[in-house]
Amino acid sequence: MLTYRFDPEIVQIQEDANGDDVEFRIRVLKEQPLAVDGLKQARAWFESNEVHTDVLFYAYPDQTYKVIVRRDYYVEFVLELMKHKLLRSVEWKA
Amino acid sequence: MEQQAIWAISIFLLIYGLIIAEKIHRTIVAMIGGVLMVSLGIVNQETALHHIDFNTLGLLVGMMIIVGVTAETGLFKYIAILSAKKAKGEPVRIMVALTLITAVGSAFLDNVTTVLLMVPVTFSITRQLRVNPVPFLIAQIFASNVGGTATLIGDPPNIMIGSAVKELTFMAFISNLAPIAAIVMAVYIPIFVWMFRKKIQTAPELKQSIMDLDEKAVISDRKLLYKCVAVLGITIIGFFLHQLLHLESATVALAGAFLLLLLTGEHMMEEAFTKVEWTTIFFFIGLFVLVSGLVETGVIAKLAEQAIELTGGDVVATSMLILWLSAIASAFLDNIPFVATMIPMIQEMGNMGVSNLEPLWWSLALGACLGGNGSLIGASANLIVAGLSGKEGHPIRFVQFIKIGFPLMLLSIVLSSIYIYLRYLL
Repeated sequence: MLTYRFDPEIVQIQEDANGDDVEFRIRVLKEQPLAVDGLKQARAWFESNEVHTDVLFYAYPDQTYKVIVRRDYYVEFVLELMKHKLLRSVEWKA
Repeated sequence: MEQQAIWAISIFLLIYGLIIAEKIHRTIVAMIGGVLMVSLGIVNQETALHHIDFNTLGLLVGMMIIVGVTAETGLFKYIAILSAKKAKGEPVRIMVALTLITAVGSAFLDNVTTVLLMVPVTFSITRQLRVNPVPFLIAQIFASNVGGTATLIGDPPNIMIGSAVKELTFMAFISNLAPIAAIVMAVYIPIFVWMFRKKIQTAPELKQSIMDLDEKAVISDRKLLYKCVAVLGITIIGFFLHQLLHLESATVALAGAFLLLLLTGEHMMEEAFTKVEWTTIFFFIGLFVLVSGLVETGVIAKLAEQAIELTGGDVVATSMLILWLSAIASAFLDNIPFVATMIPMIQEMGNMGVSNLEPLWWSLALGACLGGNGSLIGASANLIVAGLSGKEGHPIRFVQFIKIGFPLMLLSIVLSSIYIYLRYLL
């Protein structure tokens, strides 16, 4: 099982299972423009790949994002967040 | 019949068969056909080049560059999300809104580009609402073909007709084809609502989640957006005025494309050129040369003569023959080679004394464009939407589509027949 940790002073992340998807609610704290950029880059990456329904981003006011992630793209999404420094650590746990 | 004409017909039929069979890419097949016409001496190279319609090619390249760059700004996603919010998150209303956006988009951009822009945003909205995207996508397929009918730049058959017949300006296309395209859409939309309303129900909280979206966040580059909107606007105004300005539509499109590249800077140029579908451009080149073989050997003139014999030269009968033949053929065959063959045939009818060609041109445009709705293989946009939908786990089957598509296509051709008769032939 893949687990992750994030810095609550940069982002707040909450995830819930919903059928075949995992839904994330990510809120970037206002004083963290780099985190917003990171999330935008992650979004651009998933929107430019060939699969249209792997990871879908929905922007809400107050720098809050809902992200619907297909289960088979869960790991890829988490690693993308890590790549853009939105997560502190990622770890496989038995 | 002369030996050259027999060779030209044989090559044409062989190439046409290979295009239909789809075993080899249509561009390779069409280019080989063109090369055969020249290398076997049916047409010489100079004549072949003379038959290539550079206005059609320039118009396609120019618009592909403008739309390719504009798509990068997030403008189309912004419009789709805004309209979903205006529809209050209600799936049926969103379906209607996205269908209308597709129709208008297809009128001013090309169909394939429009559906490529609309499909991802449709997946995004329907996933949020947790409804099946297929009804939305089917409605958009129809809208792309109907919307494309309305203008000179909306669909390749219209580009080809507008380019071949100088009197048929951008405004002439709008004033003659937009009314019937609007009528067909007005008839189709209630049918879509009636057919799909029960399949796209959702929960109130999911509707609210659409209402809460921040559409401005999808704009990726505001500066680029302003430049693109300005250039797109100027280009469309240019199309409206092209006859007044004594400019061909290709000049307008290419001027717009290179003005945009001038404004965006060199860094955008390489990427913009990758947005041009060079396979489509070379497909056209191959076809123009292929058809030139039939024109130069007198085959087209012979066919026109026989068509006139069949209809007795009567404009009503000839218009109806062209409209229905184009529609049925375009439902199952690629409408581009069909129109490429029909254009010189109609021109030849003019040379043979048919004085009122205008209804024949509009019949060809309506039949070729609306006929594309008849089956899943009727237009490139249909195949692209079905392909993308299938890849994402929502297949649109050939039989499933034809059950809806063929009757709706026939309905649009009946409406077009009435329109052509009342407007031009009564």
